[in-house]
Amino acid sequence: MANLRTERSSAERSSHDAIRTCCVWWPDWSVVVARRTDPECRDLPVVVLEPLGSRRTGLVRAASLEARRAGVVPGLRRREAEARCPGVIVRDADVGAEARTFEILARAIEELTPRVQLERPGRLSFPTRGPSRYFGGDDALVAHVRAATASVDPGDVPARVGVADSRFAARLAAGHDTVVAAGATGAFLEPWPVRVLGDPELADLLVRLGLRTLGAFAALPAPSVLARFGPAGARAHRLARGVDLHPPALAPPPPELVETHEFEPPAERVDVATFVAKTMADRLLSALAARGLACTQVLVEAETEHAEVIARCWRHDRALTPGALAERVRWQLEGWLAASEGSARGDATPGTGASARRHDTELLAADAVTGGLTRLRLVPEEVVPATGRQLGFWGGDAVAADRAARTFARVQGLLGPDAVVTPVVQGGRTPAECIRWVPWGEPREPMHFRSEGVWPGAVPSPAPARVLDPPVAAELLDRNGAALTVSGRGDASGVPGEVRSAALPQGGGRVVAWTGPWLHDVRWWDPIERRRHARWQVVVRAGGIDIACLLALERGRAVLEAVYD
Amino acid sequence: MLARDRVLPVPGPIGERLPSGGLQRGTVTAVDGPYGAGATTLALRLASAASAAGEWVAAVDGERALGGLAACEAGIALDRFAAVRGVSPQQWPATVAALLDGVAFVVACTPTGVRAGDARRLVARARERGAILVALGAWPFEAMLRLHVTGAPWEGLGDGAGLLVRRPLAFTVDGRGGLMPGEVTAPRRLARAG
Repeated sequence: MANLRTERSSAERSSHDAIRTCCVWWPDWSVVVARRTDPECRDLPVVVLEPLGSRRTGLVRAASLEARRAGVVPGLRRREAEARCPGVIVRDADVGAEARTFEILARAIEELTPRVQLERPGRLSFPTRGPSRYFGGDDALVAHVRAATASVDPGDVPARVGVADSRFAARLAAGHDTVVAAGATGAFLEPWPVRVLGDPELADLLVRLGLRTLGAFAALPAPSVLARFGPAGARAHRLARGVDLHPPALAPPPPELVETHEFEPPAERVDVATFVAKTMADRLLSALAARGLACTQVLVEAETEHAEVIARCWRHDRALTPGALAERVRWQLEGWLAASEGSARGDATPGTGASARRHDTELLAADAVTGGLTRLRLVPEEVVPATGRQLGFWGGDAVAADRAARTFARVQGLLGPDAVVTPVVQGGRTPAECIRWVPWGEPREPMHFRSEGVWPGAVPSPAPARVLDPPVAAELLDRNGAALTVSGRGDASGVPGEVRSAALPQGGGRVVAWTGPWLHDVRWWDPIERRRHARWQVVVRAGGIDIACLLALERGRAVLEAVYD
Repeated sequence: MLARDRVLPVPGPIGERLPSGGLQRGTVTAVDGPYGAGATTLALRLASAASAAGEWVAAVDGERALGGLAACEAGIALDRFAAVRGVSPQQWPATVAALLDGVAFVVACTPTGVRAGDARRLVARARERGAILVALGAWPFEAMLRLHVTGAPWEGLGDGAGLLVRRPLAFTVDGRGGLMPGEVTAPRRLARAG
């Protein structure tokens, strides 16, 4: 726990608040892993999509160099990526494999230095002071890092290694694969554009103020930056000056903040341990928050039933949220528990990836855990004052919100994470389109852009209280008893006379009032996704009750979409 | 807790029809009526009263049919609302019991075949936790209040013209101290509030 503190001499501290750091980075790690599991796509352009079930499902997560040259960037939709780069191979991200493969590299680098800090799969950093002295200089250290990572073959992509006087600068240096000489970090940072700070809003503002480079921004006096731009600006200013964000804490976090869980019986599956890790992360961060602290670096430590103890340090630039912390623990557990799971799973799987997977399993098994986990500990290694979060003004709501959040998490435990959902209002035409159901705990962001007001052609208010998901098949008949159709120009063949559907009492009934058809030509510019609907609002008298419902006709097939119950 | 704090006031014409002007905390209210008569709307309007009082609201929706937009238009604060969807009848009692533990207002669509014993346990759980359970559909046990929606004609939609505008929310109140039957009009909301 004391590694960062003991390392800094008083002379260093007096010069400035930064640690000379080495950053090792594989750009587009998802692509590296995809190519490694599937050798067929080694020489072809590859695009990896966000994993299924995440809120960005279907968007590009990473693209290979060839695809990037053709104009594919992360965040594009799949179709757009395929259009820009014809013949591209599209794969879904395998988050587990990404974490497992990265663990192999983390172990290789751990041979050189014990203080490896993982940032996310694909990028890690470590302070260079000790190892660099031992190996005889930064250049020699970089050569050792390259040799160590090349020996485990993370695909054909060599690691990019950068050394500089702060973590942020080291990351930029890794992009250029350079070693910045000691003391030259300020000059190295100067020409970079302000958008590398990773805060688009601030960067936009700075550019409009004429501060286009990090050098220009860093030249401002720190107190004025804090006064004008607030804590977020002060944070960016520290980065631009080549000063580390969080100077190492001077006091160790108190021992009661260490979160420990004993598994009884030992956990052998990743999902079992992950479930516990989530609650541990919640408890740890709320205990820290009660002291006004947030955590930026955490040590994940596990003990197995054979008394092996393994530990790995994860860090995050900003304060860790419970979700982010739980995710890091899950990545780590994937790496540790993969060897035992993989031997059962990997060999049985036919296909091109089997050999690579077996190879991984062997590498991981070399010093992997030999049994289930009996204990998991989360040690907050580096804490900073919490500045970002503000509780409700009256405070009282927080208790009820906490209680509700715990309850929903429990129900998710009973029924699965997708069972508890919250509605988010978004742009759309039909009652079903206007709502996106987001699983509890995920960010509540609409999928479609929602402007102020209502979309043109939207089904007017009031909204139906029952939206059938999926819509139920129905028959919409005209007054002569023939099925109603709509011509290509949008003219209905008659007026609605009767609705029959299994969802209605007594199978439907006579139409007493109606309006329509409302034509919706959705995505007319897209030959594949184009859909044309005609909709009617009708009141049906069924079972002696007037039932208002919304009917849709698509390709001659009528469905009951919603009931105004 | 004072006696008046035990009642969740329901504003507007619905509240005027309820004994003590609202729903008593720790009790079960059964809302039923023929399909399409407006039982769901009435339950959402009751939930919006809880939401307006700053409470959290949960809905158990086995058929995955609850309209999110209707909940929003009824006045439920969506950042304090969650729906549990796709609950099987076997899991239903445990799910509702878990929600009553931590959420002050639970709307649950009752599936057919809920046993009276499970319903009795839920009544006890609600009383113990001081939570309000609104059971939508056939409730197989006693309830403090029974609201029976009778259905009324829709206004605004004609023969090939107009739009659905509103419908009077006609319901009868049964239970301890119900008042006279009458009509409540659900006003139309013009703006779709976020």
